[in-house]
Amino acid sequence: MSNNNTRFWDRMQNLDRRYIYIVVALAIIIPLLIPFNSKTYITEPVENLYKKVDSFTDREDRAILMCFMHDASTMPELFPMEVSILRHCFERNIKVFTICFLPTAAPLIDYAINTAKEVGGFDVKSGIDYCNFGYKPYALFLPILLGMGEDIAEAVETDSEGRKVENLEIMKDLKNYNELNLVIDFSASASVQTWITYARVKFGANIGAGITAVMAAENYPFLQTGQLVGMLGGLKGAAEYEKLVDIFASNNVVFSKEIVKETWIPITDKQIPYQFKIARIGMNAQSVAHIMIIVFIILGNIGYFVSRKSKNKELG
Amino acid sequence: MFGTISNIVAAFLTLCIFSFLYKDNPFYKFAESLLVGVSMGYAIPLVYENAFIPYVYRPIFLQNKFLIIIPTLMGVLYIFRFSKNLSWLSRYPIVFGMAIVGMFVPMSLNARVLVQMRSTMLPLDNINTILIFIGVVTILMYFFFSKEHKGTYGKISNVGIWYMMVGFGASFGYTVMARISLLIGRIQFLLGECLGLIK
Repeated sequence: MSNNNTRFWDRMQNLDRRYIYIVVALAIIIPLLIPFNSKTYITEPVENLYKKVDSFTDREDRAILMCFMHDASTMPELFPMEVSILRHCFERNIKVFTICFLPTAAPLIDYAINTAKEVGGFDVKSGIDYCNFGYKPYALFLPILLGMGEDIAEAVETDSEGRKVENLEIMKDLKNYNELNLVIDFSASASVQTWITYARVKFGANIGAGITAVMAAENYPFLQTGQLVGMLGGLKGAAEYEKLVDIFASNNVVFSKEIVKETWIPITDKQIPYQFKIARIGMNAQSVAHIMIIVFIILGNIGYFVSRKSKNKELG
Repeated sequence: MFGTISNIVAAFLTLCIFSFLYKDNPFYKFAESLLVGVSMGYAIPLVYENAFIPYVYRPIFLQNKFLIIIPTLMGVLYIFRFSKNLSWLSRYPIVFGMAIVGMFVPMSLNARVLVQMRSTMLPLDNINTILIFIGVVTILMYFFFSKEHKGTYGKISNVGIWYMMVGFGASFGYTVMARISLLIGRIQFLLGECLGLIK
């Protein structure tokens, strides 16, 4: 019996990795095909960023800048964040600008704006309610970042449609970081720290981050010091922001912790478009996959200790 | 029609990349090479259109701002990187590029050192600040190599190792989450946009 037991664990230890891939794939596919309602708890960094964006509601002299510093490879994590924030801005009449310094990020900006606009059915106009500065060469990242501290229109010059930024209606009450008071950097790299180092230190701009989960741990120290006003970390951060927009912005309600605690939004609700709950659906699969990984780790460790014990016995 | 074709192509290339999980094969190699080629092919005209035309061609030839010729020539020196005999010329633009480091040092010192230090020197009136204080002190002691890590000193520096292990664990946990998220994104695409099974 004991011999059979050891053989089983030995076999588990030498299990072909491809079986594990199949189990992980099923752990993701099944929850996506059969969605279930799980709770999304709101964390403080996401709440703070939401409140900061929301504080610009209906203000002509305030705007946010969204910097797309990633390509399609990190879209599953960052794209739902971008769509949620754009949707928040469109719902609450907040002026929003977008910019990117990577060629491959340029189409992602259009895709995010169009998704938020078309799925949400917002009647917003380029140059009036929002403005896409488009792709700027990476060599100009620092000159533009610093230049916007003095004069946005002079630093950026033209938008993605080739129009002079200074002539756009959206720029009427906006000059520099005093008005463009929140920069949110979406990236899979440390570029958010460049915004902190220059825009925050030199001009006192508020910086927020929408980053991949890989980068989250590295950026937590900046939250603690207040150098980041808020942070969305990976798919979880995106799911939390989606929920906040559903509860407050889409109902034109001001943020309240009590309402967050009491409100329950089932993701199986067909009234919420798929594109606006994609991160929450993804988090279902993520939770099941995490449970599978934890089970594998426990099984692997049990197998290791059983095999070691039997080897020690054999050696006497 | 265009959407359907692009979805079929994207689904085929996704499956080509996933086939690597079984073993390395020509389909994977094809998709990998295609990605590199398309990325470069996409970037070159975009950079030409958004960098060369507005910042070199237009100022020099249309607006007669001839001073732009100097930084342009400086940039051209980068090409000599490929020449064995003249590669030294490419060091000049690098030197100018390095000048930015001078600006980076004081600002970075403020953002990444002074402000971070200040936030570790808070009153020890709650469990978080106490944990931060213990963590900072014990990790700094672990990285102090002029004294042998033995006895009481060794035990204290061991606490620093535990702190770092927790940090690495959190970082690794987040990494696993990120990788699973990417897989979820691709499967959402295959099941949702391609097969229409998720609504």
